[in-house]
Amino acid sequence: MRKIIWLLLILGMGLQTMAQKGKIRGTVYEEATGESLVGVTVFLTGTTIGTTTDLDGKFSIDADPGSYQAQISYISFQTILINDVQVKAGEVTMLENLVLKEVSLELSEVVVSAEVIRRTESALLTIKKKSAVILDGISSSKIKLTGDATAVEAAKRVTGVSVEDGKYVYVRGLGDRYSKTMLNQVDIPGLDPDRNSLQMDIFPTNLIDNIFVSKNYTADMPADFTGGMLNIETKDFPEEKSISVSLGLTYNPSMHFNSDWLTYEGGSTDMLGFDDGTRALPARAGKDNIPTPISGASDQEVFDFVTSFDSQLAAKQKTSFMDYSMGISMGNQIDLGKKKGDPAKKRKLGYVFSLSYKTDTKFYDEVIFGEYQRYIDPNLYEMRYATIQTGQLGEQNVLLGALGGLAYKTDHSKIRLTLMHLQNGESRAGKFYIVNDGEAVGQSGYRASSDNIEYNQRSLTNGLLNGLHLWPTTGWEIDWRISPTYSTSNDPDIRKTAFTYQPLDTLFSGGAGGNPSRIWRSLEELNNTSKIDLSKKHELMKRDARLKFGLSHIYKQRDYEILFFDMQFFGTQSWTNPDPAHVLDAENIYPNKPNSIYYQSGNRNPNPNTYASNINNFAAYISEEFNPLPKLKTIVGVRIEYYVQKHTGRDQTYASGDIINGKNLDNDKVLESTDLFPSVNLIYALSDEQNLRISYSRTIARPSFKELSFAQIIDPISNRIFNGSLFTYSGWDGNLTETRINNFDIRWEWYLPAGQMYSVSGFYKTFDNPIELVRIPEQQTSTEYQPRNVGDGQLYGVELEFRKDLSFIAIALNKLSVNGNLTLVKSSIDMTDTEYNSRKTYEKAGESIENNRVMAGQSPFVVNAGITYSDPDHGLDAGVFYNVKGTTLSIVGAGLFPDIYADPFNSLNFSLNKRFGKDKRTMIDFKVSNLLNEKVVSHYRSYEAEDQVYSSLNPGISVGLGVSYQF
Amino acid sequence: MKKLNLLLYLAMFATVIGVFSACSKDDDDDDNNNNNNTSGIVVTTNISQNTTWTTGNVYVLAGRITVLSGATLNIQPGVIIKGQAGTGANATALLIARGGKLMAEGTADQPIIFTSVADEIVPGQIESPNLDPDIDGLWGGLIVLGNASISASNENGDVNEVQIEGIPTSDPNGLYGGNNDEDNSGVLKYISIRHGGTNIGSGNEINGLTLGGVGSNTIVENIEVVANQDDGVEWFGGTVNVKNLLVWNVNDDAIDTDQSWGGTLDNFIVVAPGGHNYELDGPEGSFERGHTIQNGTVVCSDTEYERSSGDLINVDDNSIVALKNIYFTGIEEGQQINRVTAAGVSFEGIELNVPAGDLANYVNGEVPAGVTAGGSPKANAGVFGWTWASNAGKLAGL
Repeated sequence: MRKIIWLLLILGMGLQTMAQKGKIRGTVYEEATGESLVGVTVFLTGTTIGTTTDLDGKFSIDADPGSYQAQISYISFQTILINDVQVKAGEVTMLENLVLKEVSLELSEVVVSAEVIRRTESALLTIKKKSAVILDGISSSKIKLTGDATAVEAAKRVTGVSVEDGKYVYVRGLGDRYSKTMLNQVDIPGLDPDRNSLQMDIFPTNLIDNIFVSKNYTADMPADFTGGMLNIETKDFPEEKSISVSLGLTYNPSMHFNSDWLTYEGGSTDMLGFDDGTRALPARAGKDNIPTPISGASDQEVFDFVTSFDSQLAAKQKTSFMDYSMGISMGNQIDLGKKKGDPAKKRKLGYVFSLSYKTDTKFYDEVIFGEYQRYIDPNLYEMRYATIQTGQLGEQNVLLGALGGLAYKTDHSKIRLTLMHLQNGESRAGKFYIVNDGEAVGQSGYRASSDNIEYNQRSLTNGLLNGLHLWPTTGWEIDWRISPTYSTSNDPDIRKTAFTYQPLDTLFSGGAGGNPSRIWRSLEELNNTSKIDLSKKHELMKRDARLKFGLSHIYKQRDYEILFFDMQFFGTQSWTNPDPAHVLDAENIYPNKPNSIYYQSGNRNPNPNTYASNINNFAAYISEEFNPLPKLKTIVGVRIEYYVQKHTGRDQTYASGDIINGKNLDNDKVLESTDLFPSVNLIYALSDEQNLRISYSRTIARPSFKELSFAQIIDPISNRIFNGSLFTYSGWDGNLTETRINNFDIRWEWYLPAGQMYSVSGFYKTFDNPIELVRIPEQQTSTEYQPRNVGDGQLYGVELEFRKDLSFIAIALNKLSVNGNLTLVKSSIDMTDTEYNSRKTYEKAGESIENNRVMAGQSPFVVNAGITYSDPDHGLDAGVFYNVKGTTLSIVGAGLFPDIYADPFNSLNFSLNKRFGKDKRTMIDFKVSNLLNEKVVSHYRSYEAEDQVYSSLNPGISVGLGVSYQF
Repeated sequence: MKKLNLLLYLAMFATVIGVFSACSKDDDDDDNNNNNNTSGIVVTTNISQNTTWTTGNVYVLAGRITVLSGATLNIQPGVIIKGQAGTGANATALLIARGGKLMAEGTADQPIIFTSVADEIVPGQIESPNLDPDIDGLWGGLIVLGNASISASNENGDVNEVQIEGIPTSDPNGLYGGNNDEDNSGVLKYISIRHGGTNIGSGNEINGLTLGGVGSNTIVENIEVVANQDDGVEWFGGTVNVKNLLVWNVNDDAIDTDQSWGGTLDNFIVVAPGGHNYELDGPEGSFERGHTIQNGTVVCSDTEYERSSGDLINVDDNSIVALKNIYFTGIEEGQQINRVTAAGVSFEGIELNVPAGDLANYVNGEVPAGVTAGGSPKANAGVFGWTWASNAGKLAGL
C-alpha cells in the first residue's frame, strides 16, 4: 500500500507543467579527439539568446516558442548553422551529436537541418574513431532507436560480445575469468559471488547513457583486464524531463500455464525478491549443542527442535504464470539560474530515478545431468555412465531494482551522487530420478528419486560520489570517485531429500542416495573503490598532448559461511508411504517410532567452511597522449599495482582439533605482489575515415576469494565438491598465483557516413600460469575439483565487423541495414605433466594425444549478425538477430573423466518496436526469443565415442509484448 | 515548490533503499558443535608418538583422530572409545594412517568397544544400557589404512594409492595402498564397533570397519559391527585375512569388497543388513586378484527390527571371488543372487533356505551348480559368545 502512495506521489510530481518557454539542449564534441568541447558558444541567430557549453560539452537555452537558426561556434573551429530548430512551449528540443571540425581553408561554415542532426549516431562513432583504445559501444540514442529494454539486450549489439544465461556478457569469447564489468568506471561486485562479470539484465536502458566495451588496455584502467572491459555509464543529466512507465509480458508455451511446474511454499515477501524469515535457520540451530537424542536434551526438546524447521521437503506441482515486468523511471534537469555576482556561472541540477520489477517463471521438463567415465581399455571407445539424473526443474526469479542519481553542475565543476539497490530472489524446485551404476569406478550402484528445493537471495547496494573539475585555461582536469558497495548472497535452507529404492524397501540410505540434508550458506561482501584521475592538456612537439596520472585504492572484504544439517534416524526406518511431502509428519519425528527423525550438525567449531578474506589494491599510473607525427596519435603509460590478499580460515585437520598439524590462517597474506603494467597504443590516421591501430599491454588475472581459500563447498544437486586452492596434494603445493598476460592488438577501421563502418582486427595474447579447475585424481567416490595453475597458454584471433545500409542495392532499401561481426580465436594451453600423462594412459587405439589443448572457457568463434529495418519517421524499428558461440571446452577432464564441452546455442531472436500517437509517446515492443527452439546442452566427449549429456535444459520459444508510455 | 518536491523524492528514495536493506539481515549464527556427555578422556589431536589407552578408561574422539605414520596406538582390553556426534566435516573417526599401527587386543571377557558418546556403556558392560542395536550414524568409524597392493586407477591410469572414501582429499592421511603385501598395521582382536557410519555426502560415508590396502601381517579376528549407517566391513584391496566376523543391523551392505582384495574371510555371521549382504566388486585397475569368502551364515531379514537385506549376493561382471559354504536363511521374495554369469565368481556349497522348487526365483539367471536349496548354518556361532548380538539372543538357532 505504501508503495502505491509513493508511486502516485512520484507521478504527481512529474506531471506539473513547465513555464511557457521551451528549451534547446545539446552536446558538442570535437572532431579530432571525439571528446566534448567546453566553452563553445551557442547562439540563436537574430536574438540575444545564447550560452556556452559546460564541462560535459552540454548547453541549454530557454527560448520562446518558434523556429530558430542555431549557431554553434568556437575559435579556430568551423561554425555549424542549424536551421529549423523548433521550440515548443514547455518542451525540450534536442540537438545531440554536434561535432565541430577544426577550421579548414575550404569551409568555415556548414549548414545542416535540425532533422538531420536528430537522426545521426555520429557522435558515438566520432568517439569510437578517435578513442585511444579500441572501443565498441552503444549509446543511449541508439538504444532509443532499437527499443532494447535492458542492458543485456543492448550489449548484444556490440562487436565481439556474447551473452550467457541471458544475463552475463563476455567479450571475444573469453570466459568469465578474463572478463570485467564496471559501472560508472568503478569495480562493483556482481550479484553472483562466483563470477567476475556483472549481471546485465538488471539495468533498464532508460537509465543508461552508454555502454562501452574496451578491448585493449590503457594505464588508467584496473590491470585485471584481459578480454575486454565493459562499462555501463548511467545518466546524470537527462536531456529532457521524462517520466516513463512500462509494462511487459512474456509467454513461453513450454513453461507457462503449465500445471506440471514445480515450486514450493515460500514466504510472503518472495514476490519482492527476499525471504521474510520463513527459511531462516531456527534460532536454536545456530547455537552450540543442538538437541538430539544423544545430546542430553529431553524427548520433547528434540521433537520441538525438529519441528522448528520448515517441514516442506517436496517439490510441488502448481500451474505456472507468465513472465511479467514493470518499470517506472523519471529524470529531469533543472536550471538553478546564475550565481549572484558571477553571471557567467550557470548552475544545474539533474536527477534520475527508476524502479523496476520483473518476475520470470521457468520450467524445464526433461532436464538431464550426467556423470560419465572412460574405460582404460584402449579398444573400448564408448563412455559409461556413473550417475544419471533426469527430471524436471521449476524456477521463479524475482528482480527488483531501484536507482537514483542526483547531479549538480556549474560550468566547470560537476558533482554527482548515484545510489542503487538490486534485490534478487530465485526459488527453485526439482524432482529427479537418479541411477548410479555400481560397475563404474568408485560407485556403489543405486537407484533413487530426489526432491530438491532451494532459494537464493542476493542483494547489492552501491553508492557513487563523483566529482569532476575543469580549469579550461590551464588545461587541468580532476575526476575523483568514491564508491562503496555492500552485497550479500544467501542460500537459506537448501533441501535435498532422496529416497533410495532397494529390492524390498524404499528408504534413506547414506551409502546410496544419501540422507536428507539442509544447508544454509551466507556471503557478505563489502567493497570500496576510491580513485582520483588528473589530466593536463599541454603541447609536445608543438602539438596537443595530454598528461594523465592518478591513484586508486580498492578494498574488498568477504565473509562466507556454510552451515550443514543432516537428517538422522534414531533406529530403524520404515516408510509405508515414501513421499517427501510426508517425511516430516509428526509421527516420523523423534521419539516416535519408526523413523525417529532428528538432526545432526555438520558444523564444527571452528567451522572449516567459514572463511573471511580481504584484498587491498593500491595503484598509481601515469600516461601521456601525444602526436609524434601529425597523423599518429600515441598513448604510452605505465601502471603500478600493489596487491595483497589475506585469508582467515582453516583446514579440516585444524578444525577437527589437531592444532599441531592443522593449518589455520588468521588474516594472513595468501597473495602479495607489486606489478608494473606498461601499455602502448598507436593510432595512425590513414585518411579521414580510416585508422590503423596497434597496441601492446601487460595485464593480470588474479584468483578469486573462493579460489584462494580453505573452503570446501558441496553442491547438493550434482554432489560435486569444490576445494579451495590452499589445500596441498602430491601434485599441488597449495600456492595459487596470478596469471600474467601480454596483449597485442592490431586493427584497421573504416568509417563511412550514416553510421556505416568496416573493421578488421587481429589479436594475440600470452598467459603465464593460467588458472583452471582441475579434477582431483585421488578421490573417485565423489567428484572433487580444485583451482590450480596449469601450463602456459596463448591465443590469437581475428575479428571482422561491418555495418552497412542497403541503399547501394536500391535507394528504397536505405532503411534496411545489415550488420555483423565475427570473432575467430585459436587458443592453446600447455598441459601439465600430470594432465598429459593421464590423457596418455587413457589414449584410445588410433588416438594421438598431444601435450597442448584449447583453453577452458574459450570459444573458437563468436558470431553476431542482424538485419534491421529502421524508420524513425514512422516510429518503427524491427530486426532479426542471430548470436552463436562455438563449441567451448567448459570443464577439463583428462584420464578417467572425459572433457565437457558446451554446445553452440544458436540464438535467433526477432524484435519489433512501434511508436504511436502524437509525439510518439506510446511504444509497443514485440519480441520472439529462441526462434530456433534450441536447447542449452553440454556434452562429454571422448575420442571416437558417442557424445554423452552432461547437462541439458530446454529454454523453449518465448514471445514477449511490452508497452511503455512517456509522459 | 520544485525544491520541496525534490526533497520529498529523496526522502522516498532513501526509504525504499532502507526497506530493502533492512529485510535482508539474518540473525547471527554461532557454529554448533555437539560436545555432549564428554565424561572420559578427550582426545583432540592426532597421535604422532606411541600412545597407550589403558584398561578401565573411556576415551572420547573429539574429531577425526589419526594415528600417524611411525606411531603406534596401544589399546588395552576393556577400553571403551566413544566418538562425539557430528556429520560431514564434523564427523569423528579413528584413522590408522599408512605406516601407523593399532595394537588393539581385546579378549572375550574384555572386548574393546567403539561407540558413540551417547552410549552410557561403562567398562565391563557389553550391551548398551540406553541405545538400541538399530541406532546408527551417531559417529564415524574405525579406518585402517596400509601399504599393501590395490587394484585402482584414476586419471593417471593404474595407481597404487588413492584416497579412502569418507575422508576429504584435503586430508592426505586418507591415502592408502602401496606395494608391500606383507605390511603390518597391527592387531585387531575382540573389537565391537557400534552406532557409527555417519554421512559425509551422498554415497560417501564411513564404514564400521574400513580396511584400505591393509597387508597380510595385520591380524584381524573376532570383530563385531552393530548398527553402522554405511557398510559393516569394507575392504579396498590389500591382503589382510579376517576371521570370526559378525555384522548386525547395518544400514548398507554387510560385506563389501573392492579393488581386488586378496585375502580370505573365514567364519562369519551376517544379520539383516539394510543394503546387500554382499557387495563384491571387481578390480578397478589392470591388476587382478581375487578373494575367498567362506563358512558363513546369513540371516536375510529380521522381524524384531523390521529389516531385510537387498540382494542375497551382488557381484559385478568383473568380480573375482570364491564363495564357499554359506547358508542363507530368512529369505524374502525379491531377494536374489545377482549376476551369476560373472566369470570370476565361483559358487560352492551355497545353500538357500527356500523350497527346492522355488530356488530359481532367488537366482537372477540360471542357477549355478554350487547353489542349492535347504541346508543348515555354516558358521561356527560358538566363537561369537562374547558379542552383543549373542547376548541379545540374535544367534539363537544359528
